[in-house]
Amino acid sequence: MKSNYIHQLNVLIKLRAKIIRPLLFLTIAPYFFFIGVIAFKPEMFSPFIFDTHISLGIFLGLVLILLIFIITIVYVYLANKFIEPQISAIKK
Amino acid sequence: MNKLILSILLFSNLSLASDGNSGENHISIIMFILFVSVTLFITYWASKKSSTADGFYTAGGNISGLQNGLAISGDFMSAASFLGISGLVYLTGFDGLIYSIGFLIGWPIILLLIAEPLRNLGKYSFADVVSFRLNQRPIRILAACGSLSTVILYLIAQMVGAGKLIEILFGLPYYSAVIIVGGLMILYVTFGGMLATTWVQIIKAILLLFGATVIAVLVLFQFNFDLNLFFNEATSIHKKGITILSPGGLISDPISAVSLGLALMFGTAGLPHILMRFFTVPNAIQARKSVAYATGFIGYFYLLTFIIGFGAIILISNNPTYLDTSNTLIGGNNMAAIHLADAVGGEILLGFISAVAFATILAVVSGLTLAGASAISHDLYANAFLKGKQSEKNEMFVSKLATILLGVLTIYLGIIFQNQNVAFMVGLAFAIAASANFPLLLLSIYWKKLTTRGAVIGGSLGLFSAITFVVLGPVVWVDVLGNPNPIFPYKYPALFSMTITFITIWILCTFDRSENGYKEINKFDSQYFRSQTGIGIDANTSH
Repeated sequence: MKSNYIHQLNVLIKLRAKIIRPLLFLTIAPYFFFIGVIAFKPEMFSPFIFDTHISLGIFLGLVLILLIFIITIVYVYLANKFIEPQISAIKK
Repeated sequence: MNKLILSILLFSNLSLASDGNSGENHISIIMFILFVSVTLFITYWASKKSSTADGFYTAGGNISGLQNGLAISGDFMSAASFLGISGLVYLTGFDGLIYSIGFLIGWPIILLLIAEPLRNLGKYSFADVVSFRLNQRPIRILAACGSLSTVILYLIAQMVGAGKLIEILFGLPYYSAVIIVGGLMILYVTFGGMLATTWVQIIKAILLLFGATVIAVLVLFQFNFDLNLFFNEATSIHKKGITILSPGGLISDPISAVSLGLALMFGTAGLPHILMRFFTVPNAIQARKSVAYATGFIGYFYLLTFIIGFGAIILISNNPTYLDTSNTLIGGNNMAAIHLADAVGGEILLGFISAVAFATILAVVSGLTLAGASAISHDLYANAFLKGKQSEKNEMFVSKLATILLGVLTIYLGIIFQNQNVAFMVGLAFAIAASANFPLLLLSIYWKKLTTRGAVIGGSLGLFSAITFVVLGPVVWVDVLGNPNPIFPYKYPALFSMTITFITIWILCTFDRSENGYKEINKFDSQYFRSQTGIGIDANTSH
């Protein structure tokens, strides 16, 4: 009984890490890339994308705002689908 | 009390009318009176449910994920960020976006690392979590210092901004504006506690999102919702031309860039008034949902401010109605959104947006005051000095006393700092939150080896170094105090102060061989179990 319970806890911890780590990377890396370009190579953000009047910097900035929101949605979805059943199993 | 405020406002209305000012003020004052009446009614209703500690600090813990998400965004979207960021976009274009993204990037961090363990371990304040297995007294004192310095800096910045904004919008003298904001904030928090504060924030968030949406839609409507045409028009009007679509020197050196990035990313996760909101939901599932909702609302809001800033470039930067003799906006760049409301929606929208700006200030300062009061009553009084042996009734009395004291102090500081440059204060609040509050919270949840000794000394050094670097840096030493050269060369201290915190904690904890240290390390596994599963929260808290 006890070993089963510890096993389930370990499964939970590994599951959480598996979900959180990539999402954390997807948050931190694009953000520091964005800030990094602004600090080191700001001219990289100047050209217009395709044949519009919207610069690459503005386009990527708006995409980043969208990405941040998507990350939170994805986490809530994955947590409710995979983490919650595991916690319920431990509670039993 | 309701009547008193109404009469103050009506009186100000009369004095406005006698100045021969235009009619739009009537609309904003009517809308504002409506907001104040509704929120005071809610406060009256909430006062019956806020007599217990649980009711006062957490609104009974029964707020839903969606409600809390709205309240969090209402707590976070300040008038400063609405008017300040749209004003920055109006002035610089792209650079405004850097701040918007910075204020948003902290939310996934809160969600992925902090929200659920915080809800599972804490009861009323984030200090509950940090002191879960560590020595209560020193940790509570440190956490309260971190909370109070963040809250008071934030409050001063909001108060000074509020006084000036209301002066322009409603024609009220600065002093009475600060006193009205402070007075209402004391009423909401003292009588209505977290429940009234939550509803003030929810109503404000809905009003602000609605108002900003209306402006943005009316602006884009003029361009048939064609963003290409919209940006093209803005670059042809703005005197900086197409350079407003790329980075314009807000951040020039790499160290400042990383330092500002760190403060914004991790500072949000150390703001006590934000963290406190997670105790109002029943469990980790709702805590998680509230962050996703809040991120959606706040992200959408920043998209709107971006459109509003560019809209202001196109529609008001060449319109003499909104410019003074030196060709800058009447009331300064921060008035861009307000003038734009008038330009696209006439006096009705202007009145509405003015009232919303006032409501926004009230919601933010109320949340801050509540967090500050709980640091005094729950962390300092009840747990650090009386070691948890007090009666709940006593703690409630102290929390209300603390609310009134903080409110009066805020009004006083708001008046003292009237003519000071307070723009650095929010930045400093974020730096402190990132250098003291956040590392303590993060390490206490995830790092087994954290002991009291390392946490207290490392956290104190982080707090102290963030303040020192800002005071000796360009913004205070040169801009405020008028010295020729800064002693500390960078505007943003977080890279250095956070490093100091983490390295100090790591060294002291690694070499902590004390008996207490071993005991604290041994308590980690059960704490970790509870933080990951939430099992045990029903046993220790009443909800």
